[in-house]
Amino acid sequence: MWAYLVNLAVLISINAILAVTLNFVLGYAGIFSMAHAVFFGVGAYTAALVAMKLSGGFLLSTAAGMALAGLISLALALPALRVRGEYFVAASLGLQMLAMTVFSEWKVVTGGIGGITNIPPARLPGWTVASPEQYLVLCLVCLALVMLAVATLVRSSFGRSLKAIRDDETAASAFGKNVAVIKTLAVVVSSALAAVAGSLYAFYLSFVNVESFTLDTSVVLMAMVIIGGTATLVGPVVGTVLILLLPAALSYLPGLPQSEIGSIQQMVYGLAMVLLMIFRPGGIWGFRDNPKDDR
Amino acid sequence: MKLKAILGALGAACAIGAMPAAAQDIKIGANLPMSGPNAEYGDLFGSAAALAVEHANADKMLSRKLVLVIEDSQATPQQGVVAMNKLVSVEKVPYVLSAFTGVSKAIAPVGDKAKVVSVNGGGIGPDLAELGDYFWNVIPLVNLEVLALAPYLVKEKGWKKVALLYVDDPAGEAIKKELDIHVPKNGGTMVSSQQVPRASQQFSGLAAKVREARPDVVFIASFGTQQAQIVKQLRDNGVRQQIVSYSAFASPTVTQLPEARGALFPTQSINWNGDALSQRVARDWKAKKGKDPNAYVANYYNAVMVFVKLAQALEKAGQPITGENLLKQRQAMGSFDVVGGRMTFLPNGTVSMPLQINEIDGGAGKLVKGNIVVR
Repeated sequence: MWAYLVNLAVLISINAILAVTLNFVLGYAGIFSMAHAVFFGVGAYTAALVAMKLSGGFLLSTAAGMALAGLISLALALPALRVRGEYFVAASLGLQMLAMTVFSEWKVVTGGIGGITNIPPARLPGWTVASPEQYLVLCLVCLALVMLAVATLVRSSFGRSLKAIRDDETAASAFGKNVAVIKTLAVVVSSALAAVAGSLYAFYLSFVNVESFTLDTSVVLMAMVIIGGTATLVGPVVGTVLILLLPAALSYLPGLPQSEIGSIQQMVYGLAMVLLMIFRPGGIWGFRDNPKDDR
Repeated sequence: MKLKAILGALGAACAIGAMPAAAQDIKIGANLPMSGPNAEYGDLFGSAAALAVEHANADKMLSRKLVLVIEDSQATPQQGVVAMNKLVSVEKVPYVLSAFTGVSKAIAPVGDKAKVVSVNGGGIGPDLAELGDYFWNVIPLVNLEVLALAPYLVKEKGWKKVALLYVDDPAGEAIKKELDIHVPKNGGTMVSSQQVPRASQQFSGLAAKVREARPDVVFIASFGTQQAQIVKQLRDNGVRQQIVSYSAFASPTVTQLPEARGALFPTQSINWNGDALSQRVARDWKAKKGKDPNAYVANYYNAVMVFVKLAQALEKAGQPITGENLLKQRQAMGSFDVVGGRMTFLPNGTVSMPLQINEIDGGAGKLVKGNIVVR
């Protein structure tokens, strides 16, 4: 049981990093990105390749993934964020489709549909992260650092500018804020931090393929943020815990016929989501009427 | 009907409460997609495995009751790993049935570390042969199918010029690699090879190139609904040559397609009216599901029966049923009599089984050549 719980905790930590970083653009900047799984994937593939081809440790592999994810997001954000809201959704959706094709077709690099196997364990200077418990510690440290970075940015003048743009782009612009640059920076930071999760994922599973970085993943990440509570620091973590634990908890429903387990899980899961949105539309951790929005 | 069944199941769950497996039961796991777009495969594979468990318990093949614990992989690597960890560390199973290449590759390291056997009965990509000692396949991988088909096409039928349309996944690429070797080896020529993206649905351009290459036979290496679309569009665009494929053509979307009549494809050699075991499985499957079983039913049934035979031997020898002992016992026994004939494990955890070549005839299919043994 312990190993199972540790495994769940590792995956929750990894997904929480993704949710927190998505919330940085979605919740604080009001930028709806449908391509967050792309940066997760870029981080995972880059870390895997650096570890396998260059014998890179966790820090070097993660740094390489962050740099590449940041650069790719810059290429997306620079042209797309010159226009408003919904255009970025369309552009990010396009990037998601493009990246799926690259992940599955660039076989020399990504291994195609078959993916990359036998990724070595994560190494830190003087320490190989061997056991699942050690890996959980590494994941929790990364999650804490990412949350700290996001909290610091949100409380800075940059964060206040982001919120101003989210609430009224025209007014922010009238007050002298360079809207395009601020939004672009937010996307780059969010994407680079999402690559940390990709690196952790690749080292943990020892395997990556395109199936983990699909549009479905981007949508689930968005659900984690919205259900947990946008523009809150803790909300996305709560949403992640709920979304990953609910199916696991439902699998313990007693006495169900095996062939119907999946259908019942989906029904209960869907019903819980609908009820949640009816009774807590601001998300579990969200407090809609409270102006303080960076808890 | 489905809703009624689900509500009934929910009611039953509330009424009867928990019915956990008794501590003394022998448990095996199944990591299958029970929800999402691939749930129908999980249902099919799980039902076949459940039938084998039912037979093993009815025949008292083991000293204790055999229980199958199914976890939902959702056909995704992440959920597959969660499910595998639960089976390994909570349910403590020594043997897990798996499906889908991505899930299989993601769970293989978990099984390897915990010394728990994972068994694939659905994927046929040759990369599944490289996942370590604790990952086994009870389905012949696609390279064996090509090995059986190539001599038949070139030598026996005299179709020397082969055109290939292959999907860009490990199975498609493996088929190309094997055809490139075995068609020339048997005296034939590959006159064209065209790659098809997985999501592609328009093939008229490819059909024109196939016509231009003037082959004797067109090999289609795709899967799912795409392969039916390729067949239809080739015929619609004037390609009249013989069509051949691999076991993925056993899907009803192809076998019921009028344009696919006459197409040839290899599968495991299974005569459901042959030996007593096959007849029993066919009869009981039809009684439960109202239709004839297919090769996947045989594979997942066989996967459980391989475990039962190994566990029987371990019980006889007074050894505990662990993944490590199952592996040693498989290496010692080597071959098993299962549905479809004698299954022989190769050292890399893949199997060699007799194959057959089938022709699509609009009905249940026609056997063209049976009992082909390749290694």
